Amino acid sequence: MEPHSPGTDQIETLLWIGFVVGTILVLAVNLGLLYALRRYRAARGAEPRQATGGAGLQLRVGGALGAFAVALLVLGIVFTENAREAPATGESGLQIEDEAPLKITATGQQWLWRYDYPNEAFSYYKLVVPVDTQVELDLLSTDVVHTWDVPALAGKRDAVPGKTNEAVFRAEEEGAYFGQSATLSGQGYAAMRTAVEVVSPAEYEEFVETTQEGIQEAQDRVVERIEAGETP
Amino acid sequence: MSAPAKRPPELVDGFPRRRPRWTEIATSADHKDLGRVLIAAALGFLFLALVELLLMRLQLAIPENTFLSPVTFNRMLSLYGATAVFFFAVPLALGFFYYVAPLQIGARGTALPRLGQIGTWLFVAGPAVLYAGILFTPSEAGVNPLPPLSDVAFLADNGVDAWAAATGLATLGFVLIAIDLIATLRRRRAPGMAWRRLPVFAWAAAICSWLLLAIGPVLLAALTMLLIDRNYDGIFFAGDAGGSPLLWQHLSWIFYSGAYMLLLIFALAAIAEIVPALARKPLFNRGAVIGSLVAIAVLGTLAWMQNMLTAPIGIGWMYFAMTMSLALIVPFGLVLFNLIETLVGGAVRMRAPLLFAAGAISMISIGLAAEISHSLPALGWRLQHTVDSTAATHFALVGGAVFGGFAALHWWFPKMTGRTMGESLARFSFWTMVAGTLLAFLPLFLAGGFEGQVIDAYKFFDATGVDTYNLLATIGVFLLAIGILMTLANALLSREGGAAAGHDPWGGDSLEWFALSPPDPHNFDLLPDVRSPRPMRDIRDAIAHRSERAATPQPGERQPVA
Repeated sequence: MEPHSPGTDQIETLLWIGFVVGTILVLAVNLGLLYALRRYRAARGAEPRQATGGAGLQLRVGGALGAFAVALLVLGIVFTENAREAPATGESGLQIEDEAPLKITATGQQWLWRYDYPNEAFSYYKLVVPVDTQVELDLLSTDVVHTWDVPALAGKRDAVPGKTNEAVFRAEEEGAYFGQSATLSGQGYAAMRTAVEVVSPAEYEEFVETTQEGIQEAQDRVVERIEAGETP
Repeated sequence: MSAPAKRPPELVDGFPRRRPRWTEIATSADHKDLGRVLIAAALGFLFLALVELLLMRLQLAIPENTFLSPVTFNRMLSLYGATAVFFFAVPLALGFFYYVAPLQIGARGTALPRLGQIGTWLFVAGPAVLYAGILFTPSEAGVNPLPPLSDVAFLADNGVDAWAAATGLATLGFVLIAIDLIATLRRRRAPGMAWRRLPVFAWAAAICSWLLLAIGPVLLAALTMLLIDRNYDGIFFAGDAGGSPLLWQHLSWIFYSGAYMLLLIFALAAIAEIVPALARKPLFNRGAVIGSLVAIAVLGTLAWMQNMLTAPIGIGWMYFAMTMSLALIVPFGLVLFNLIETLVGGAVRMRAPLLFAAGAISMISIGLAAEISHSLPALGWRLQHTVDSTAATHFALVGGAVFGGFAALHWWFPKMTGRTMGESLARFSFWTMVAGTLLAFLPLFLAGGFEGQVIDAYKFFDATGVDTYNLLATIGVFLLAIGILMTLANALLSREGGAAAGHDPWGGDSLEWFALSPPDPHNFDLLPDVRSPRPMRDIRDAIAHRSERAATPQPGERQPVA
């Protein structure tokens, strides 16, 4: 799965670093253990050294481990801060006044995501965003805890009822990206997926216009029919 | 002429022992009987947890499988979570602490035996409530039943109530046992058994008891609030009415993080008993190991928000959790360093307990290395809620509770039953378990880390790139289950058929090896004067020196203890 936004680029790099560091640690412990068990086995006949270690060695080993932990801490903070940085809208993206991000609301419900666009258009399951634009996705929930997770574009974020969470990203390339809700939310949880379609700013504007008009038309039609007494 | 007085039977090894009957065990407040109840129950629930895990993995063996319905899968998941943590892992650790620690300090009994008895049977009542739930509707809310899903608006049947009652009873039981352990370790130590001479395992019993005293009531409070929300129109966790679903997350994760550390402390402490004895060398630095175990308990619990990195909490809290998690590198590293240094220069006898101990160290190291990645927030945003998280947790917990627990089982089985477990069956079981664990969970690192497969889902979709990983994981879990069953069978068969063991089959250093196998109800006839952290070694040395000085002893003549 390829990263397609600056934030997830950072996460992907850190993933590889974490993988390498983890592998080195595991190899160090296991090889040390294996060596000690084989080299000092009783069958070889040596008498055991009744030696214990003093505080000095412990402090040196503890100090080295502590330095390693601090290095990881710094690494973690640097990469996390980079990943959190709200990426500004690029030149080929949708320009909004005051360099504001494009604010879309994503509402999780059992078992769908609903996206509300700034012009009161909405869509279910599929989110359409313009390329190279800073998108701020406000995550809400109407019922239980959900998690919005499109790994190609942003880190996971929980949608907790009663609170608002945020996922900020800028998609670098046009295309379709898929995601899945990541917190158990009931029977339909495994099928609670989502798709993000990244299009050019012109296509995006067309999409929200058309959708909003279509919704308005449908609503007017319903009102018409109610007033004409055609509906129960 | 009156009948001659009956001669009392000759006392050879103590009073003739009858196998305790059900009523004796059910009414006993002896820490040894209660410890055996806890351990036996825990191993029985390990079997049930394996069944639940196997059913779930069968469902996840192929994409879009229809073996289990979503509801059934969610029920299996909820049962598995409760059984693995509350009914297998924690009681196994507590059972060993309760059996062994009073013996190690030279106590004749615990300080508050009735409290311990009540605690043990409260624990037994817990799973009885949960599994009676199978007769109606088990919980569908998963391993950690987050509100609002676990609230009555979304899960109206009484499955979640049964889950909360069951885990609540068990946790209350654990807290009571912990209180007895704390009181015993303070008040019932033998003469000369100062804190600085306490064996590492007894120290771990103290640390874990205080830890349970801290985290148990937190969970009990959360469970009470959940039950009030569900049944009495409470709003503790209702986001729209002034409460907060995040409150449950904080409280429950405090308990789970603490319990996670408890299991690792138990495993490492048992290993710290096994390694010095079987390497015939003292533990490289006792103070460092004990201090590290204390640090692990404190730091690990304070890192609870590491499980909430995707929740709407401030970044500052995430960095705090990361700092606590990364700080754990120091104590865990020191313990592993000291254990390996103990082996270096020793004369290692590779018996079954050491085999399982080595396996435990290996699996735990994989789990902890993976947890390092998870604690960095940027990575947590990618890896949390995926099966990568499942893999990391299972490596640490299978390593700790299963491999470590089995190491403890093989080590203290001779003391508890007077017989050793079968060595070749143990080796066969061990290697099967290693192969199973690696095959079951290594592929999940790839499925979760690189393909983003989410956790707790009853199925995964075609063409998402995780087919092979899941199939391998299912095969691995079967292998692991077979290995575990071999050890359980070994334990059952060895109770009657195992090789007879004396009071000190391994050449251990701590006082439990001074008592008989199994010990008398009052533990010790005679308490030695403790003068060092290795009292049994002092006794053996004294006997050796006395034999040098005295004439050849007559057969059957007893050597007095120096």
